[in-house]
Amino acid sequence: MAYPVLTRLGMKCNCIETEPAVAAASNVRLPMGLLGFEKLKDYLLIASPDEEPFGRLKAEGDASIAFVVLNPFLIVPDYQPDIPQADVEFLGLKDADEAMLLNIVTVHKTGQATMNLKGPIVINRNTGVGKQVVIANGAEYSVQHPLLVSEGAA
Amino acid sequence: MLILSRKISESIVIDGRIHVKIVRVEGDVVKIGIEAPSDVPVHRQEVYEEIQRNNQQALVRPTSPLPKLLGAKQPASAPILKGIKP
Repeated sequence: MAYPVLTRLGMKCNCIETEPAVAAASNVRLPMGLLGFEKLKDYLLIASPDEEPFGRLKAEGDASIAFVVLNPFLIVPDYQPDIPQADVEFLGLKDADEAMLLNIVTVHKTGQATMNLKGPIVINRNTGVGKQVVIANGAEYSVQHPLLVSEGAA
Repeated sequence: MLILSRKISESIVIDGRIHVKIVRVEGDVVKIGIEAPSDVPVHRQEVYEEIQRNNQQALVRPTSPLPKLLGAKQPASAPILKGIKP
């Protein structure tokens, strides 16, 4: 089932119905874009069963802009990002349950992979609106937190 | 670069809608207050640049296969997010 894959990413399913073997997709709106990519605001979050638990965040209308993302709590269960109040309000988050986090993963040329814990993308799972948040306790975390990956492609 | 001198509690206005105020000076640390519309992002420069650089490096080609993630565990309980009440 594709839904458990998206659920592992943390998305509540306002998803497009698909066949189990096919990727599920969900719209994500980033009104401020990503840092360095401010002009792109509309993305598609895609969860392919063969890439799980990684997801891909693809910019709509620009195929060259796509990011690998991961639910950080799968790797760092005690990750406690301090989200500034202004961002909590911006996203309309009433409680922690409504928030879903996706952190950007870099697959390096060496084959190693790291995850950015300083700037999670925080998404209101009910509205699909998100923001790349600069967490207040960023000094506690790495922008290149190492991930354990197998050699070569999935 | 436009260089202005301000005393504590004096302000600067940018584009008629962004206000920058010198709140406090303690030794060599200047506390700056910024009021800006919610569509104007404001960041400490070095933090912004670090994350921007990381985003740039992270761009992935659509056809690029991904490695298999090892060691992922389903969290036992709901994560705690500081800043949002549980």
